[in-house]
Amino acid sequence: MAQRREQIDSVIRVVTPENIAFEYRLAGPFRRLPALLIDWAIVGAAIFIISFITMLTIGVFISSGMATAIVVLVGFALYWFYCGLFETYMNGQTPGKRLTGLRVLTTEGQPINAMQAIMRNLLRGADLFPYMPCLGVIVMSLNSRSQRLGDLVAGTMVVIEQNSWLTGIARLEDPRAIQLAGFLPPNFIVSRSLARALATYVERRRFFSPLRRREVAKHLGEPLLVQFGLPADTSYDLLLCALYYRTFIADRGEDEKRLAEAHAAASMQTPFQAPFQQNPFQQPFAQIPPMKPQPLPQERIVTIPQQSTRPF
Amino acid sequence: MKVVELLERRRQNWQELERYCERISLSSLNTAEISRFSALYRAVCADLALSNSYQLPENTVQYLHKLVGRAHNQLYRAKRFDFQAWAKVLLEEVPQRIFNDRCVQLMFVFFWGFFILSAWLSYSKSAWPDFAEQMLTSEFIEQLEGMHNKPLDGRDGDADIAAASFYIQHNTSIGLQCFVWGLLVVPGLYVTAKNALVLGSAFGYMARPDVSQGEYFFQFVRAHGPFELTAIVLSAGAGLRLGMAWIMPGQLSRAASLQKHGAEMMPVMCAAMLLFFFAAIIEGFLSPSAAPLWVKSGVCLLSSALLAFYFVVLGFPRRLLNAAR
Repeated sequence: MAQRREQIDSVIRVVTPENIAFEYRLAGPFRRLPALLIDWAIVGAAIFIISFITMLTIGVFISSGMATAIVVLVGFALYWFYCGLFETYMNGQTPGKRLTGLRVLTTEGQPINAMQAIMRNLLRGADLFPYMPCLGVIVMSLNSRSQRLGDLVAGTMVVIEQNSWLTGIARLEDPRAIQLAGFLPPNFIVSRSLARALATYVERRRFFSPLRRREVAKHLGEPLLVQFGLPADTSYDLLLCALYYRTFIADRGEDEKRLAEAHAAASMQTPFQAPFQQNPFQQPFAQIPPMKPQPLPQERIVTIPQQSTRPF
Repeated sequence: MKVVELLERRRQNWQELERYCERISLSSLNTAEISRFSALYRAVCADLALSNSYQLPENTVQYLHKLVGRAHNQLYRAKRFDFQAWAKVLLEEVPQRIFNDRCVQLMFVFFWGFFILSAWLSYSKSAWPDFAEQMLTSEFIEQLEGMHNKPLDGRDGDADIAAASFYIQHNTSIGLQCFVWGLLVVPGLYVTAKNALVLGSAFGYMARPDVSQGEYFFQFVRAHGPFELTAIVLSAGAGLRLGMAWIMPGQLSRAASLQKHGAEMMPVMCAAMLLFFFAAIIEGFLSPSAAPLWVKSGVCLLSSALLAFYFVVLGFPRRLLNAAR
């Protein structure tokens, strides 16, 4: 499961000298193309501006031959070494990569050195081989780290290094979730994988419509309702919110207190009473009859001739 | 401890670390700030490591992964040019590698074979009478003759310096192209052979006794020739080695073989680029100048001797040297 997620999200794990494993997302060709175009635009503009200024100053006042020489040599240096030098001195980023949030690292996740930076950018000439300019993209799609030829030779990869916002804990707008949390069995231990599933669901649920929430939460909510012995018409969404509240927000000390109370009650052998007469945590759409599934196309084809009358 | 409390407590640390990450470089920080940064970095590493047992929500874990990644890249930075280490590599490793490298040897024979063959065909009027015209096209020959039809006296410095810069750009690009296309093997062999043929043909044509411009041509090229032609051979050999790395990977996977040989050939390519750089300086300042002929010949001899010393004396395998003693 974890491996599949890494494959789908193109995530790569890096272990730091601090012995921490953290994840990077690899940059594919469509992330890297804009960075390349920005860099080319910068090189083009720089050559244009430098030649303009040189021609107007040195070309007019000193000698036109000198000005031509400067323009030719500066253009040559920018063409071959612009990216390599920037990646050396800007820690694996060119201006284009910095704007698009990319960075070049070695395949071990370490910073690159000057030789690797220059080598991988020299070999862009092979990736964009004039008679087969998509060669680099083909090579990228053939390996798991989306390295082009230059990356393969230099042993580097490009990762996405973006700012992400700290979201914190999801806010529960429905106070009934907190009430419902009180009815959950105190001895129920939320496993790590369940906690992760709860967090993923609750942090995303505000993007879903109520019907959609019900559909998604049903898979987890239905067996949990049976396990907790709660009425079957309890809202699944609310149940998951309550579990989320108990796992991430509520104080565990209270849980232990309630667990002790429950033990005490059990030892007194009081007959079990239904916790509530009328279920206040009902599904918002419990009144709506369950929707009939849409007939599959092939079913529809079968039913049509039965209803239609024959023309003769 | 409640997760909310934990997040509230850590949030400030994380956001402070984020602000450090937004700076381009840590070198502008003072000592107190740097130690603060590293303390924050270690703290966030610990938070990430314990995120599973804290039962942090998935979004927060993702955030921590990204934050640790950014801080890691700020802390461990690209290594700049370490000249001392490079001198050792360039003076010890590279010559020995070149001396033993079959691809460089092959390219040496390949380039000079085509060069000499083409020079001879252009020079000789009986073997293939219009070889030079077919190879170089008559416009190029006219251009070449026009460029070298007067002695190099340095008086027309303006045009000379423009021409020299064009030569530097053109020849170095050829060398780099031989290397880069060498990775794809066939284009590399093609472009190397083509340049050997064109260069050889130009040399052969200019050496003809009835071409009067030949004298000035050879005065011009002799100073920078050794460095420039050697650098082209070297970069073509390094490129071919990369190409062979993925065609015949041996026991390794193709990607691993490419990476291994890439790491080996990088210093060789650096040596080639140094040669291009020396050749460019000579080509820019000495070749078009009015310096007397013996200076240019002296530079030619000196550079050839340096190259021979570099490749043969420094490159001779130490193993054999020690065995002979």
